[in-house]
Amino acid sequence: MGDVIMEELGAATKGHAVGATEADAVDSMPTHWVAQPDSTEQTAAVMRVAANHDLAVVVRGSGTKLTWGARPHRVDLVLDTTRMNAVVEHAAGDLIVVVGAGQRLDDLQAALSGPGQWLGVDPARRGTIGGLVATAATGPTRHLHGPVRDLLIGVTFVRADGVVARSGGKVVKNVAGYDVGKLLTGSFGTLGVITQAAFRLHPLPQARRWVSVPITHPDGIPTLVQQVVHSQLVPTAVELDRPATGGATLCLLLEGFPPGVESRTAEALDLMGTGATAGDDAPGWWGAEPVADGEVLLKLTHEIAGLAHLLTALDDVCAATGLPAHVRGSVGVGAVTVGLAGVADAQALARWVTSLRERASSFGGTVVVLETPGDFKADLDVWGPVGGLPLMRAVKRQFDPENRLAPGRFVGGI
Amino acid sequence: MAHPDRAGGPASAMTGTLGTDAPLSLAPVPPGEPAFDDHRPPAAALVADCVHCGFCLPTCPTYALWGEEMDSPRGRIYLMGEGLEGEPMTPAMVEHFDACLGCMACVTACPSGVRYDKLIEATRAQVERRFERPKADRALRAAIFALFPHPRRLRLMRGPLRLHQSSGLSRRLRKSGVLQRISPTLAAMEALAPTLGRAEHVPERTPAQGQRRGTVGMLLGCVQREFFPGVNAATARVLAAEGFDVIAPAAQGCCGALSAHNGRETEAQGFARALIDEFDRARVDAVVVNSAGCGSAMKEYAELLAEDPAYAERAQRFAEGVRDISEFLHERGAVAPRHPLPVTIAYHDACHLGHAQGVRTQPRELLCGIPGLQLREIADADLCCGSAGIYNILNPVAARELGDRKAANVLQVKAQLLVTANPGCLMQVASSVERSGGRVALAHTVEVIDASIRGLSVETLGASPTSIPQTASNDSAK
Amino acid sequence: MDARGLADQLRPLLGDDAIITDHQRLRTYECDGLTHHKVTPALVVLAETTAHVAAVVRACAAAGVPFVARGSGTGLSGGALPHADGVLIVMSRMREILEIDRANQRAVVEPGVINLQLTRAAQPQGYYYAPDPSSQQICSIGGNVAENSGGAHCLKYGFTTNHVTGLELVTPAGEVVQIGGKAVDAPGYDLLGAIVGSEGTLGIATKVTVRLTRTPEAVRTLLSAFPHTDQAGAAVSAIIGAGVIPAAIEMMDALAIEAAEAAVHCGYPGGAGAVLIVELDGPAAEVAHQFDEVEGFCRDNGAFEIRIAADDVERALFWKGRKSAFAAVGRISPDYIVQDGVIPRTALPEVLRRIAAISDEAGVRVANVFHAGDGNLHPLVLFDAAVPGESHRAEQVSGAIVDLCIEYGGSITGEHGVGSDKAKYMPRMFSDDDLDTMQLVRCAFDPSSISNPGKIFPTPRLCGEVPGRHKGAHPLADAGLAEVF
Repeated sequence: MGDVIMEELGAATKGHAVGATEADAVDSMPTHWVAQPDSTEQTAAVMRVAANHDLAVVVRGSGTKLTWGARPHRVDLVLDTTRMNAVVEHAAGDLIVVVGAGQRLDDLQAALSGPGQWLGVDPARRGTIGGLVATAATGPTRHLHGPVRDLLIGVTFVRADGVVARSGGKVVKNVAGYDVGKLLTGSFGTLGVITQAAFRLHPLPQARRWVSVPITHPDGIPTLVQQVVHSQLVPTAVELDRPATGGATLCLLLEGFPPGVESRTAEALDLMGTGATAGDDAPGWWGAEPVADGEVLLKLTHEIAGLAHLLTALDDVCAATGLPAHVRGSVGVGAVTVGLAGVADAQALARWVTSLRERASSFGGTVVVLETPGDFKADLDVWGPVGGLPLMRAVKRQFDPENRLAPGRFVGGI
Repeated sequence: MAHPDRAGGPASAMTGTLGTDAPLSLAPVPPGEPAFDDHRPPAAALVADCVHCGFCLPTCPTYALWGEEMDSPRGRIYLMGEGLEGEPMTPAMVEHFDACLGCMACVTACPSGVRYDKLIEATRAQVERRFERPKADRALRAAIFALFPHPRRLRLMRGPLRLHQSSGLSRRLRKSGVLQRISPTLAAMEALAPTLGRAEHVPERTPAQGQRRGTVGMLLGCVQREFFPGVNAATARVLAAEGFDVIAPAAQGCCGALSAHNGRETEAQGFARALIDEFDRARVDAVVVNSAGCGSAMKEYAELLAEDPAYAERAQRFAEGVRDISEFLHERGAVAPRHPLPVTIAYHDACHLGHAQGVRTQPRELLCGIPGLQLREIADADLCCGSAGIYNILNPVAARELGDRKAANVLQVKAQLLVTANPGCLMQVASSVERSGGRVALAHTVEVIDASIRGLSVETLGASPTSIPQTASNDSAK
Repeated sequence: MDARGLADQLRPLLGDDAIITDHQRLRTYECDGLTHHKVTPALVVLAETTAHVAAVVRACAAAGVPFVARGSGTGLSGGALPHADGVLIVMSRMREILEIDRANQRAVVEPGVINLQLTRAAQPQGYYYAPDPSSQQICSIGGNVAENSGGAHCLKYGFTTNHVTGLELVTPAGEVVQIGGKAVDAPGYDLLGAIVGSEGTLGIATKVTVRLTRTPEAVRTLLSAFPHTDQAGAAVSAIIGAGVIPAAIEMMDALAIEAAEAAVHCGYPGGAGAVLIVELDGPAAEVAHQFDEVEGFCRDNGAFEIRIAADDVERALFWKGRKSAFAAVGRISPDYIVQDGVIPRTALPEVLRRIAAISDEAGVRVANVFHAGDGNLHPLVLFDAAVPGESHRAEQVSGAIVDLCIEYGGSITGEHGVGSDKAKYMPRMFSDDDLDTMQLVRCAFDPSSISNPGKIFPTPRLCGEVPGRHKGAHPLADAGLAEVF
């Protein structure tokens, strides 16, 4: 049977299917085949093969976030998108781009920079466009430009049954039909295989300045963040870096036209007070994940004004468990990442996560475990409680009734 | 939440209830006579002007109260359209027409220029002629129209009313809330009655002071004449000070506004003819009016008498010469010097001045022309206070709610004096403010100007000299 | 049980004055802002609480009766067009602003709250609600959610879907579900993204949590008049090309200007072939610089008059003409159809020429008002229904314009929604597979098809259909009761 499948996959991709090796394991789940379609049509053909043979499929771009989410409980086929890496259309005059899901974000930004434009997302992990959308990747510039879901204007994808579908289009304003693109954003490949995406773009700014200030007093962070958020600075990004060892920094990115940026920089320096400095380069930690190898990476969300409670809750839980946490992220929006060091085993992590989740209502947000070393995720609820789960299950049942797309990887065991 | 004045309940017959007492019908309306006959129905062409955009809804007081389509201008126009299509005039339909205050905020708001004012007036006339109201309702309306358009009969009430007020009975009744339980309508009328002062008499002719710039006629009105004679006296004085001979024939009667605005077409025409006759005899350059409701009706005499060959042309000429006092003074320019009047005022646009006549900037400019006077705007200024002619007697509960909103907005401005241009508004806002336990002095626009010309102090207008008025309850008045 | 029977069931719970069964009263609800389609509902219910809405929906679900939700009834695609056998659930009494939370930059509102009312409530705290449809003085937040409404400022600030972070939803089964909240990035599927813009087909929102936007430090607006739309379009290209993202760029052509003038006396420059309103907002220093650029581009491209708003009053006057444009058209034409197509902005000059050609050929006037920044056109097709054949010709012109938008890679609707009006055009823009896939979402939320059925999709999909391979014929297809796509 395996030969038949191998043959069919090969036919579907015109010779770009191979047997899987250990390196192709998905979050330590071994898999059998890897197929590399070069187009939406080939992707559809691959998915038809998978449907015919009841194969569980996980989509892979650069594989930078393959270990995020829960471990899928079955993986038969890895669908590699990297051959679908064309910039299909860049309409610079209309500030839109249509791009293959396998295109790398860095390559896309390079291609857009010629006409002075960029896609307004700068996540830490630079994978493919498909992965960007599927994981709803986030970075500092979302403060002004919004999350990926707000930049996506159209999508082409292949359903579990191999049918190709489109939603949205190539124009920014479009309310025709349901916005399936938004459902796909952050769906971790559990609803369909994204093969092409259209985005709205922004002009590259003519001037940029980073303004930072060290914050010595712990209470100073939330107060300053509130002042910044309600100010008229209109920063592109508001990032906090708070290492476990102490000493925090708040840094703003101001972008725009040179005279405007100069004026706002002066205002920002004034607002942020003694010790504030301005520079032409980002701080070294900017846009990087606050983890070293072997550490646990989490994503936390909070109500903007809930930051004080989040930091208190973190400190309390860290003190109780003896695990130091490094916080870094977009506090002006309420989405940060946390790096947790010295986690001995799965139980320690579970205790930490559970304790923090118990405090979640105080900061009005969520705690999601993105990545752990070794087998720590095995019995852990990485996603946490989710509102509207029955509706989500209903959506999954409609799109993937046979439950073959990354089964078990998503919330609520989806 | 809807139509608190509609449902029966423990109130007596004199609740001012309108419309249906019958339960809502589940069966389709049986075929019957179409709602409107051929005598001046609401014009189909005007109904067709409505594009259903809904811009009128947020300005409509009844939509603000009840949030239902039938009690919005858009919905009422739709009902008129249904009537023109042949639907019969049911109690349900009439109820919604009756619930309209006729404030015409919708006319101001409408981007398509729908003449809702003409539509509702035509519709009301059809209703009055063709719809048989419940007995109690008919009786109340008959009583109102037997009294209000007749200055002499109103004068007869002054004595008993003054006694009622000075004896303390009025205050005790309001405090106890007894009337409210017996009949919201009676309570409304009682609460609305203004505190009567000395009767001031306007002579038939007041000569101009200084250089004479012209001769004007002055409407004395009915409620204004008997219950707010100070306003009339101030009007005559101001006009004279500005160089105009003022002719105010004592024999003049009602202008017919209340009748016209409530669909009593023949009655209104009768009053109009008499008034035109009276002022034609007087030979004046213009007829100046200090009551917004009256001025608005008089400007429409041409349409009212369009089908009367004996009066059509005269009515046209007469209407062209009608001016609100603020409009007139603004047009002609001030010559009498203004003395300082250091006071903070809130200006309330009477609907029949602002919406119906489009007179908004003139009174403001006149008032701001008084040195030391500071004018503040009221939030939701376009929303009717609930007076709307006799609406507050016919629909006391709805009018109360609107009055409460207006009172709250007025008190929030923290002015010493509320200035407005209509006796109905004055009564309604006064009673609403008092009910809320607040306090603000009230004056007509022309009284303020009069005080400034004569160099009087703020106290003569009833305003306290301190900048922030007390909001003490009425109990403090002993 | 049919809809009428539900009246008796619901009366004890909701109260007499929340139930409308009188025929004449029902008729006042038979259309929204789109008057070409009228359907008298069997029953109208005015809900005042979430519990009311849930009870009505549950009753409908149990009886198999369809329901349609309605806010202020100002939609332009028939989204609130009732079902003849169904219940119209009117939300206009649920109009409390529950919370303005400045610290979190959020507001929580009931769906009947009027768009502008929310902005006014937030303004004293230095915030406002950014999506500003031209009907904002009356349209409801719930309606905005259903249609994913935009407005003149959506080029810079986005649409409703970019501003909703939480919803309380009554599902078509009558369950009350909390989705999202004040925080962003809730894990799981982006249900909010599916619901906003779903035109009432996935349930009824009974509470909405929205993002509030900081009132900008500076706002500067200019009005410039050009001899022709070509030049105005070129100015727009230059502005965008220079990296300026205005808060709004709106264009009106000569016919639209004429209507606006007649309606609200906005006093736009006489003899203009096109008028451009450009608004910039943001930090004062940025705006000052951008404004000079914009003014320069207008002059360079042939503007014969440029007016700069000196204050808020003048700024409001510039906008008055544009915002009243649709209703104002009623003054120069007895009837009209308003379209809502979108094209890539760079195609604007060419598309306008093609529209002019279509208009000339059919002998039907078309006034153009549009969001020049994002290519969302509002051609107003003018006609007189009393003249035989004109109505039909107007429909044809309307359809031709829609086809034009699709031809240029745009959309059939930028902000008004598909509703009942444009369902017939959906197959021109999307394939059967596309529409089938979208309806999977519908089946997930509303398997019984009672939530505003018949809207958006011309051919409803039977839920319970399993997508993918079929072994043998489907029993319903066998019975001749359904077709398989």
